[in-house]
Amino acid sequence: MEKLLIFVYSIGILIRIYLSFSDFSTSIADRVEVSTPLNSWKRVIEGVSLYNENLNPYDGDLFHETPLALVFFSNLTSTFSDFYVSLVFIMCDLMTAFVLYYTSKIYTENLLEKQTKRKHVYYKEFNKLLIPDDFSVINPFYVCSVYMLNPYTVFSCIARTTTVFNNLFLAICLYSMVKRHRLLGCLSLVLASLPTFYTFGLIAPLMLSCVPTDSKKKTGSFIFTFLICGAISCMLLYLCYTIMNDWAFLDSVYGFILNVRDLKPNIGLFWYFFTEMFEHFRALFVCAFQLNASVLYVIPLSIRLRRDPLLLATSLLTLTAVFKSYPSIGDVGFYLSLLPIHRHLFYFMQQAFIVSCFFVGCTVFAPTVWHLWIYSRSANANFYFGVTLAFATTQIFLITDLLFAYIKREFALKHGMKRMINGKEARLMLD
Amino acid sequence: MGLLTDPSVGHGALTSIFVRHHNRFCIVMYIVSVALFCMLAHYSLSSQTYFSENALLPGLVKGQLNDNTGSSFRDHYRELNAEAEHFETETPHSYLISKFKNLRLETYSHNFTLNYPLKKNTKYTGRNVYGILRAPRSASIESIVLSVPYRAPSSVFPSTLPGLAVMFQIAQFFRHQIYWAKDIIFLVTEHEQLGMQAWLEAYHGTSCGSPGVLDSGKLSGRAGAIQAAINLEIHSEKIDHIDVKLSGLNGQLPNLDLVNLAHRLCNKESVKHTFNNVDGGAIGRNKVNSYYTNLSTMLSMVMTQATGVPDGNHGLFHRFGIEAITLEGHEKEGRGIYSSVLQVGRVIEGMFRSLNNLLERFHQSFFFYLLPSTDRYVSIGLYMPCLVLLVGALFLKAFSTWIQHSTEHKPGDSSAEATIPEHLNVGMVSVITLGSHVMGLLLLPNLAPAYFTHFWNYMPTHRALLLGYGSLSLTIVCILPIIMKKCLNSFKSSNWVLLHVICLLELGIGLLCVSMHNFSLGYLTALVYVLPAICTKSSQNNLIVKFLWLLVHPMCSLFWITAYITYTAYPELPITDYLTKVLEASGQWMVLSTVDNMIYGNWAFTVGVLLLLPVWTAFWCLMFLPTIDSKKMKTE
Repeated sequence: MEKLLIFVYSIGILIRIYLSFSDFSTSIADRVEVSTPLNSWKRVIEGVSLYNENLNPYDGDLFHETPLALVFFSNLTSTFSDFYVSLVFIMCDLMTAFVLYYTSKIYTENLLEKQTKRKHVYYKEFNKLLIPDDFSVINPFYVCSVYMLNPYTVFSCIARTTTVFNNLFLAICLYSMVKRHRLLGCLSLVLASLPTFYTFGLIAPLMLSCVPTDSKKKTGSFIFTFLICGAISCMLLYLCYTIMNDWAFLDSVYGFILNVRDLKPNIGLFWYFFTEMFEHFRALFVCAFQLNASVLYVIPLSIRLRRDPLLLATSLLTLTAVFKSYPSIGDVGFYLSLLPIHRHLFYFMQQAFIVSCFFVGCTVFAPTVWHLWIYSRSANANFYFGVTLAFATTQIFLITDLLFAYIKREFALKHGMKRMINGKEARLMLD
Repeated sequence: MGLLTDPSVGHGALTSIFVRHHNRFCIVMYIVSVALFCMLAHYSLSSQTYFSENALLPGLVKGQLNDNTGSSFRDHYRELNAEAEHFETETPHSYLISKFKNLRLETYSHNFTLNYPLKKNTKYTGRNVYGILRAPRSASIESIVLSVPYRAPSSVFPSTLPGLAVMFQIAQFFRHQIYWAKDIIFLVTEHEQLGMQAWLEAYHGTSCGSPGVLDSGKLSGRAGAIQAAINLEIHSEKIDHIDVKLSGLNGQLPNLDLVNLAHRLCNKESVKHTFNNVDGGAIGRNKVNSYYTNLSTMLSMVMTQATGVPDGNHGLFHRFGIEAITLEGHEKEGRGIYSSVLQVGRVIEGMFRSLNNLLERFHQSFFFYLLPSTDRYVSIGLYMPCLVLLVGALFLKAFSTWIQHSTEHKPGDSSAEATIPEHLNVGMVSVITLGSHVMGLLLLPNLAPAYFTHFWNYMPTHRALLLGYGSLSLTIVCILPIIMKKCLNSFKSSNWVLLHVICLLELGIGLLCVSMHNFSLGYLTALVYVLPAICTKSSQNNLIVKFLWLLVHPMCSLFWITAYITYTAYPELPITDYLTKVLEASGQWMVLSTVDNMIYGNWAFTVGVLLLLPVWTAFWCLMFLPTIDSKKMKTE
């Protein structure tokens, strides 16, 4: 298994290095599916050069990274040449894969441990449904190889999107969740959600996982985690203020995300909807869409999935990747690589084949239709929106299927798979 | 929400019905698709064409082009003929330039060079002449093109000199009108489509084919953004009918409004007008007869579009977002009623005045359609289901193969089966798929053909290409089975469902993508490849299936097509002559295809090499991969 892991790692590195230094990388970086206004490297370069010329990069509608990132990228590009900057991105991707590997390992080991403890509660027939021991070896390998070889993450990396750094912080956040490391978790969570805003919802699984085992001080622990996150956020925002000496960046970063000012097409659903929208309804629908993307699912899902914070985190990440205002395939690639962690649920999933067909189909179709629309001028925006809509639906199917699988498995473990009423097989209804 | 919330594990009753009878469903879908496609030509499924763009205002003004002011058509034509006779194989550039100057147009010429891609240091040069009539009523923001390909008397194609004379006549008339709001470019191109491509590339400052092949040079004068273009090929003074041609490069079509405009104005000037040389309307035909006429017209359009080669110079405009058509005037032979060139001139005048009214570029109406007749169309929503049914059969096959596999191997039903390990052979399957695609990449038209011609440089190009691709394909066909049998014995106890499913899905998705660009190519390819694909099983394929696959190898398909075309062209050839002719023609097809790819960016060959060949190779591997009998496995 270790040999295989090294093999997968080296293949992943080779692909990334080869593509980064071929002409392919520039054409990938220009794709709307990969680079959004929020994460595109071109905009970072522009912003950095404005900053180095002592112009405020937030004056125009160009640069939407935080001042912290601005300083970081400014140092990065001034110390390293172009070649090494690419290597930094590749290194970050490798680290993400590495952190995810350990996250998955620890999580599966915890799961196995819990299973042996609770074995007496489970329905007798269902020893076969229990998680076999080898999952703790295979799952991390799958997670790692999905992250290393998935074209979504590869493209995101070679296009040098800032999503790469974001994914690294998210991975560290997940790692600290399974490790129950509160401070590291809070820090990485804030760092991840500072530029993208939506991932702050992950505070719910973080709160749940940092609860001490003696469950008396639950509320206290929740509040404590929340306060730490809040404090770190305030500190970092103040740090940003001291860098720029004004608060204009708030509007450029968060105002830009929340008001959806840039309607350039991407894989999300906002752009089409708001190009068609009458201006006086805009405020209402922006609110509705943003609520849907950010907080709507956090509370109900955290109540239902309180025993499995990592599954909660996966589903929240998926939902934000679908509904947020400027999604890119880097986000999609990240949550896809989290799926093998939950491999014990795969048996209960029903739509896996259809969902994967649609994933492949949409990925191939989007550039085709884009070409027809932009270059041939024979198709129009509706074609491209059709593909993005199908893509969003597919992702929703995937996450719904996964969540139902979790519920079904819980139920089956307690009550058995087949229920007989009067000699007939009974059907379960979930309405 | 039953689809998502069904809590049972495994699959519902509907799914299991699909899975159990999937072969029957696939066949039914195939037949329904073909039937539906034939139905499209019927009166009830196609609709009457109409104008979507109101700004065109077709035929609102009376045509005023006449022979009375300035020199008449006859004068122009006589002068041109006399000049053309001096140059047997060349274009009389200086004459054309002086003629345009006399018509008081802003006149320029444009040089271009072709570095022939399959032979080093072979160059062809050419020169286009064009004149611009500046619009008196606006700055040079937009323009319309009227083009005529110049054909020397030695050309194999019918003469276009009458068309050129009409162009002079029109230019002379347009010069005196005050209503032009768009510049008008009068363009005479050389070397058929090559000149047109070079001029367009130079006009837009881009290059479409492989770098360094067509050196399109520079233009010394430009007008505004081109809104529309009309290409004239009029072969005689006495015109029997005007044929409106529309198929463009890679099957792209012009906006239906422009096509309608041409037909409407021909109607108004009472010029007989046709599409694919068949006139429209059900007048004088009974129902059955008109259905057959419509069907054959539609099929001939599908055939033309599927090649991806433009059937006139207009086809090269489409890629630049310019709507363009060719009006081809066929000669009237014998006696009877004919249309005069003046009538055709008035049609063009009317079209230009309509185009002059345009406020925005063409964006209404349809870009995706099939035409069963001059005045009826089938929209994308109606013809796409035909293809979706075929591709759906592939997906259904893939789905049920996968479900069958996963239910067989699920731990849960019985303990005996649960012990059978899942041998999906991810490693070997990815080696096969990757290998076949890498081979496809190496055979791309801008890589392999240059090597073949270099290697067999004593042969004519078409034989070298045929030999190169033919021998490679033959090697693959013969060697692969042996390798599979000998070297992969260690995989005996495994199954190849994964490979099968990947092949089916790739074929399906690839066909959908191709048909989005070029429906005809996608549909015809699907008709050929879906049938063997749904007959194939994951293991134990019998000889018939293998033979079927052998028949549809991309090279073989090319061979069958040329055999058919040669047969229709020369039905009475003796068999040996016939076969050599077919072979030669296949080679020439390949040369044309590769050269088209490198000059114009035609991707028909690329589709063959990057989609069909890899999929075919993977299926061929699937035929010969070692498996143990599934019955034996059960008894064990």
